[in-house]
Amino acid sequence: MALAQADRVLDGGRTSRPAVVARGDGGLTYRRKRQVFLILLGAPALVYVLLVAIWPLARGVNYSFYDYSLLRPARTAFVGLDNYRELWTNDAARSSILTTATFTLAAVTVEFLAGLGLARLHWRDSLFQRVCLALLLIPVTVTPVVVGLVFRALLAADYGFVGYYLSEWGLSNPRGLLGDPHSALPTLVVVDAWQWTPLMALILLAGLKSLPTDILEAAEADGATPFQRFRIIVLPMLLPAVFLALVLRTMDAFRVFDIIYSTTNGGPADATDVLMIYAVKQGLEFFNIGFASAIANLMMVCIAIFSVGFIVLVRRADKRANER
Amino acid sequence: MSRRVSAGVLIAERTALVAIVGVFLVPVAWLISTAYKPGRDIFSIPPTFFFTPTLANFRGVFRYFDLFHLVESSLVISLSSAALSLLIGVPAGYALARARTRWAIGVAYFFLAVRTVPPVATLLPFYLMMRDIGLLGTWWAVILLGTTLNTAFVVWMMFSYFRSLPKEMEEASLTDGCTLFGSFRRVALPLVKPGMVASALLCIMFAWNDFLYSAFLTRAESTPISVALLTAYGTKDITWGTLGALSHFSTIPIVLIALVLNRYFVQGLTRGVN
Repeated sequence: MALAQADRVLDGGRTSRPAVVARGDGGLTYRRKRQVFLILLGAPALVYVLLVAIWPLARGVNYSFYDYSLLRPARTAFVGLDNYRELWTNDAARSSILTTATFTLAAVTVEFLAGLGLARLHWRDSLFQRVCLALLLIPVTVTPVVVGLVFRALLAADYGFVGYYLSEWGLSNPRGLLGDPHSALPTLVVVDAWQWTPLMALILLAGLKSLPTDILEAAEADGATPFQRFRIIVLPMLLPAVFLALVLRTMDAFRVFDIIYSTTNGGPADATDVLMIYAVKQGLEFFNIGFASAIANLMMVCIAIFSVGFIVLVRRADKRANER
Repeated sequence: MSRRVSAGVLIAERTALVAIVGVFLVPVAWLISTAYKPGRDIFSIPPTFFFTPTLANFRGVFRYFDLFHLVESSLVISLSSAALSLLIGVPAGYALARARTRWAIGVAYFFLAVRTVPPVATLLPFYLMMRDIGLLGTWWAVILLGTTLNTAFVVWMMFSYFRSLPKEMEEASLTDGCTLFGSFRRVALPLVKPGMVASALLCIMFAWNDFLYSAFLTRAESTPISVALLTAYGTKDITWGTLGALSHFSTIPIVLIALVLNRYFVQGLTRGVN
């Protein structure tokens, strides 16, 4: 969270120096002591993460260069980049990459637009709005696996509360929305949007609330139309919240697993086989550790590229805001 | 924002909001109501809206599941993970916020990056490591791995809280003869209590709702509710009613915490906007 903020922190923060440093010859030992103290405070978390997250990650990178299967460990062989080449040549892998990209783009777009509308409706700060917001946040807290199961039941064409009528009125085929390769992925986008649009709205609302009302009122008094007020004042000042909301949701949608695993598990006909599902199946169901690691690493590279791009964008937006 | 608006706009806005909130709550309402439906009403065609409530499904939960053990697993996993993450994450967040080297920001970003790693990338090698040292299938495996994500989250979150804290008070306490640790514990920590509550809340939620790690790192005797729910689905004898009743125990604790501590929950989720 809070990339935008860290970036601002980068510029400030180091300006003030405590008076304690200027204590003559005692100062140096004090600084040393302080340094050691801070390192001691920070070390446990750093060591822990290096040991329990980075070490496995490094092993994963190593596995990805081997043809390593738990079913025949004796035949493990170094294959260089073959696993990565397979990501491109294998039809299932290629379609999985495409599915993930489609899902991420669709889910984030839907959630952003709906979230913006919801945030706008909550802008007026009254008890009514606050109660609505608290209720709206319930989906965010529901166990994702349960979300999947609930929608599976609701959308079942034979007995589902919603699915029955959809099928009766000819809006879905007899296997239900999740059973049809054409409608399964869009349906999962809706399920994801059900759970996460409130979060998007919450973040955007926090941005809206930080807008200076006096400027908005002045603009209104000067005769600016609502559209002008939105484009010239609201939008530029809302950018940090927009960026944060988009980046959070993009990363999570890219790593979606639970709701798909508990509804379609990648089916029907691989229509919802996103990279997380594909990697878990390859690794923990077929035990192709080498290939599964390559998929996981591809995901890491994508996220890294996305993060760097995001930081560059924020920097540029910040600079432009400062110049104005 | 409190500007004068016409009653018409206000009514339109509120109607829209009520409708939207209604739509968002339908699945939750369905889940809860299913637990009280007699079996024949769940599968009736067309679906029924009215039914005589029953507790039969809850009896089913006790018949088919070792509920106590499932809740115990979920509690142990989420509370241990949250406690461990706060224990090592809060001091680290403080250290990074107060360090005066360029490194500090880099390390803070490193923690943020750890948080964005796709879980499968750590899960595969970690699974093999746990298998080799014999911890596979225990609570330890899930707690250890889940805590990496939570720690990264706590460090980043507390880093931003400590940063926004003025240093002057800590410096004053130091000149008054407070030790370095004392100024951290007695001056800085109490001021970021809201941040710690928000962090703890979200850590518990992440760990409680986690499925992937628990599904592959635990065995039947150490499995939490989230995993039990999915494995029970489609099993003979287990009806939607039973699943709905079991979901009560997995969903309602977190929903309640989020509603009661709403302020902290919202604060945790929107940290970084202002």
